[in-house]
Amino acid sequence: MTSLVTPDLLSHGTLECNDTPATRRFLTEFLGIDVIRPLPEAQYLSKGGPWTVVCVRVEGEQKEQGPQNRFKLAVASAAEVDAAHAAAVKHKDAYGIRRVEGVEERGGVRSFRLQDMNKVWWEIANLTQKHYDDAFARGDYKQ
Amino acid sequence: MNAPAMAQAKAATSHVKPTALISGTFVTRDLKRTRRMCEGLLGLECVEPEKGVMLIRERGHRPGEKLAGEPYWVLEACEVAEIAVPQEMLNHWGVFVSSQAAVDAAFDRVNAAQKEFGLGRVQKPRFRHGSYAFYFVDGDSNWWEIEYRTPELVYTSLRQKGDQVDPNAP
Repeated sequence: MTSLVTPDLLSHGTLECNDTPATRRFLTEFLGIDVIRPLPEAQYLSKGGPWTVVCVRVEGEQKEQGPQNRFKLAVASAAEVDAAHAAAVKHKDAYGIRRVEGVEERGGVRSFRLQDMNKVWWEIANLTQKHYDDAFARGDYKQ
Repeated sequence: MNAPAMAQAKAATSHVKPTALISGTFVTRDLKRTRRMCEGLLGLECVEPEKGVMLIRERGHRPGEKLAGEPYWVLEACEVAEIAVPQEMLNHWGVFVSSQAAVDAAFDRVNAAQKEFGLGRVQKPRFRHGSYAFYFVDGDSNWWEIEYRTPELVYTSLRQKGDQVDPNAP
């Protein structure tokens, strides 16, 4: 199929924050994401690969996001999901975590969601690239 | 300043031990329309593994195609009856194209196809922080950016440079 645009890369997503140092502390110390700050008003988040999440500083209140709009972090095992969940509950106040949902398991993927101080939702799941490789290889579901 | 090393050292002892920032999610009221836009407008690869769910990634995964890098990023779109939290421009998804001219060409094509793909606003390209880009919003309030960055300003290059601003500054 010929498309109107032929991109090289699905390159980035974005989120808002209003306290850059506190957000960085949560991202690096709690979530384990790599962060750089190239601009006063932006931090760039990554964890391998060319993909980046741009964290833009806003004045005042950040927009309240719903859990349907979230970023997913992969961890290596179901046990690590459980450990991350326990850590989120334990350190909720220290990192300004607003909500921690319960752990769920669906199709062999164990996960939970949390909403951070910036009203952004994150999902921690024992996902792998193979999960997506296999889904694309299988193709569309049969109606 | 050697902040990347510092940030990664913190990550090694972080509470969560991620292997990858692997995907992002958004919602649509019409998965078919979103698929048509992702494939026909944005040039992305889509698959629907189950009813009401679509996975999206950049092209380059088929034999003979060039892959931009791994791990690759996936967007997951879910079909919903109503958009509970409409998105705004600061919550967008972006794609890179290869030149400033490609941004201009993309703008002309996207602008001309606004109705065909059920798009909202298509903003004009402009320079900002070393990138040249334009934004448009789809029929479900999801914002998209088509962007060109010179090689020294692509995200992977910026990571090598580390912090350019004091990370503790407000």
